[in-house]
Formats: sequence, C-alpha cells, structure tokens
Amino acid sequence: MSKIVILGAGISGHVAASHLRRKLSKEHEVIVVSPNTNYQWIPSNIWVGIGRMKSEKILFPLAPLYKKKGIGYKQAKALSFYPEGDKDEQKPYVLAEYVTGEKQGQREKVTYDYLINATGPKLNFEATEGLIPGKNKTYSVCTYTHADHAWEGLNEVIQQMKAGKKAKILIGTGHAKSTCQGAAFEYILNVEQELRKHNVRDMAEVTWISNEYRLGDFGMDGMLMSYGSMTMKSSEMVEMIFEDRDIKWILGAGVNKIEDGIAYYENLEGEHKSETYDFAMLIPSFSGHGFKAYDKNENDITEKLFKGFMVVDADYTPKPYEEWSVKDWPETYQNPTYKNIFAPGIAFAPPHTISKPRKSKSGTDIFPAPPRTGMPSGITAKLVADNIIDSIKNGKESLKHKGSMGNMGAACIASAGFGMTSGSGVSITTFPIVPDYEKYPKTQGRQLGKTFGEIGLAGHWLKLALHHAFIYKAKMRPFWWLIPE
Amino acid sequence: MTQRISKYQRFKMMNPIIQFFKFIYLSIKIMIVVAGGHGGTRKVN
Repeated sequence: MSKIVILGAGISGHVAASHLRRKLSKEHEVIVVSPNTNYQWIPSNIWVGIGRMKSEKILFPLAPLYKKKGIGYKQAKALSFYPEGDKDEQKPYVLAEYVTGEKQGQREKVTYDYLINATGPKLNFEATEGLIPGKNKTYSVCTYTHADHAWEGLNEVIQQMKAGKKAKILIGTGHAKSTCQGAAFEYILNVEQELRKHNVRDMAEVTWISNEYRLGDFGMDGMLMSYGSMTMKSSEMVEMIFEDRDIKWILGAGVNKIEDGIAYYENLEGEHKSETYDFAMLIPSFSGHGFKAYDKNENDITEKLFKGFMVVDADYTPKPYEEWSVKDWPETYQNPTYKNIFAPGIAFAPPHTISKPRKSKSGTDIFPAPPRTGMPSGITAKLVADNIIDSIKNGKESLKHKGSMGNMGAACIASAGFGMTSGSGVSITTFPIVPDYEKYPKTQGRQLGKTFGEIGLAGHWLKLALHHAFIYKAKMRPFWWLIPE
Repeated sequence: MTQRISKYQRFKMMNPIIQFFKFIYLSIKIMIVVAGGHGGTRKVN
C-alpha cells in the first residue's frame, strides 16, 4: 500500500489527484492537502472581473467531491518539508497546519510515500510597494475574490464616466519580473469591449503597461505564427489589435511603486516615470512560498528542495541567453535528491526565463518571468501521476512518461470580449512552448502551422466551451478522463 | 484610432455562420496541437 500526498488543489494538484484516484486501487491512499475550500477555474476569472460571470460559476467546493471519490482531503497549509522524517518519525513527511474547522491552528505531520508539490505560485504583491488588490485603485484578477473586487472597481469607474467624468484605465504587469501577460491581455480587451457596450469608450483612455520588450512577448520571447494565409510575429498581431481598439502601450516598464492612482515605473532607458489612472489591474510577480526543508537531524536542507520554487530535473547551470537550450527544461519534474518528490505545474523552479533577459541602463532587471498556464500544468501533473502509478505497480521507479515544455504544445484562448454574438477571442497555439532553435532554427524555435493565431467570435465560443468542459472534468463527472489536459 | 482591421475582415470575424465552421476547425486544430503528444528533449544513452 502506498500513500501519495498532493500539496495544492489547483489545476495541477487536482489533475494529479483525480488521475491517481482513478487508476490506483483503493488500498492506496491519495490525500490532498490544500488551504483552499474551493476548486476554481482560473482562466474564467477574466469574465468575473468584467461582471459577465458570477464567481460561483467558476468554482465548486472540494470536500464533497473528494469524499465521494475517496480522495483524502486536509484543509491545511504546508509549512515545512521533512523528506527523511525526523528523530521521532521514520517516514518522510510534510508539516501542515489546519486553516479551518475544529482543528484550526493544529499542526500535523502528514507522512507520505510519494509527494506531489503542486502549490503553485505565491502572488507576491508585497514585491511592489503599494500594490494591494482593492487599494490605491489597483485590482487583480488572479483569484475569484480579486476578480469580484475588480468588477466592483471597474463598475464604479464606468458609472463615473456615464456621469461625464473622463477616466484613465491602466492594465498590465505590476512588477519588473511579472509573468501572466496573457491574463492581463485578455482583461484589457474585455474591459475595452465593456466600455463600448456601456457607451463610455470615448470617455476612457486605455493603456497597456508591461515589462515586455515587445508587444506579444507573453513571457515566451514572442512567436512567429501563422495567421490566415500569412506568417506574422505575435508583436505585429497584438499591435494590430491594440491600434484597432485604440489601446495605448508602455513597454519595458518595471512598475516599482503604487500610490493612490499613480503607478511609478522604471523603463529600459533607466528613466523613472509615472502613469496616473482611475482604475488599474496589474499582475503581481510570482514567487515560491518560502518553504523550509530539514533532514532527519533537523539540519536545514532547503537548498536541496528549493530555489524559490522546487528544484526538479532541470539544468540550473547559470549560462548566457545565447547558450540556453530547450534541454535545460525538466522532463519528469522529479527532485534529483529525493526521488519520491515531484513538482509539476507552476511549483517547479524553471532553469531560466524564456524571454531574453534585459536590464535597464541603471541595472534593473526588466523582463517577463516564464509563464506556465493551465494546459502545461495539467499535462505535467498527469505525467507525474502516471509515473507514480507505474512505479507503484512495477515495484520500482519508472519515469517513462516525459513532458518537457520544449516538446509540448499549448493553447491560449484569450477572450477579447464576452457575448454569444458580439464576443471575440484571440486563439493562439504554440508548439513547443519553450522554443527549440535546433529543431526549428528558421521559425524562431517553433513549428509554423502548429503555432498560429486566429481572431474572431469562434474564439469566444471556444473559451466558453473550454470553461464548461474543464469544470465538467474537474467535477469528475462520467468519462471526465476523455477530456485531454 | 487607427482602423487596422478592415470592415470585410471584421465581417468575417463576427459572422456567426462563418465562425461556426471556424469553431469546428479551431477545435480540431487545437486538439491536434495540444493532445498530439508530448515528450522529452534529451537523448537517452
């Protein structure tokens, strides 16, 4: 009998738990440890943030589902890792603290045979002074509660515009090394469309602010893509959309301080500037959770498990951008020291960024961190689950399932406006996610045809269809496993 | 505002009939890209 503990119940943790439970017999224990009450389908937060979808539509409680499916569930947060156990406990364990109910505040040693760390990122708002969701007129759409607040803030500004007051709207990244430009891109297009629907578009100045060097970088160094019968750069496609919608842009901007209605930033020229606004949605930087790890004698071994995020089978040797290789990226998400620990999704430490690192003239790093969206999070979680299942069934370590982001496709269906007949979406796929300049030297490291973009109403339908399909899958309804990650 | 998308392009982007077929096409194409397999990048000795 094996005991598999999964930390986190986001896309990655939930996918791993559901596949493990489906494929392993009941003699094996599958336990999820998460401080969250609900599962949330994060990609639809965009629509919550414009008031077109209630947050209840994108979430469901975890406890009843896990009870029904025979998955253990501890509503607790992980505090520290003991991969060798300690003087009193022979088995490896994670120290967790319950966050709710009768056991609130109690700590428990959660022992395991296999550990999947799917804790995702910490939303590091503190890294930018004054960037607090719901304060200083800044908002976030990173969680459903943030998105609810964002809609309240946006609606207030829309009502002011209806009363005749002009407004400035600023959307993008809130730190020099933020990622998730795609989410901000979706949000700015949705907000712009909402302003038109409310007949106040002419009252608003809408501005994109980002740490990207070029538009359409998305933390992936941009893309060369098929667009209809043409081949165009993602920067050209985004520029076309922004110009068409009268959205201004500020690039190479490392936002470092927020005051009430003012965003201060440094640009790549080393200039310190500011931008005023009446409503801002700025994505924070992501960081690890600051977990500590100890050996059986309680010596600190954090560096064996964490480099901010969790250390896995990536090549972390520091090297210049020109020497980066697709082979640097992990394939199995296994910790090299403790082979029974895995970190799929956003929890693993990337070997480096995907976008070219750039410094301002005064030495500040200003470039996007690598994005890891829902699709690769799901795929990597499933392959980790499959390797654990094989290892248990074969009685020896099996790592035959591999999935490097350098040999994996991803789709980003960016909503560009909500509405069954008036909606729009920018559908982008990329293969591979991390460019492979050896395989595709003439097309910026990616395969044309499999890397393409489309704009139109079908994109909105597609995003809506994915919303329903993935919530169905997450609820583990009949034949849920037929829906791919 | 600079009109970068022509009226004809916009018509095609927003026409429900054209977009219905585009929806089918995109669904299949995306499925091929993302469910078409994944693997490692390092050679095994």
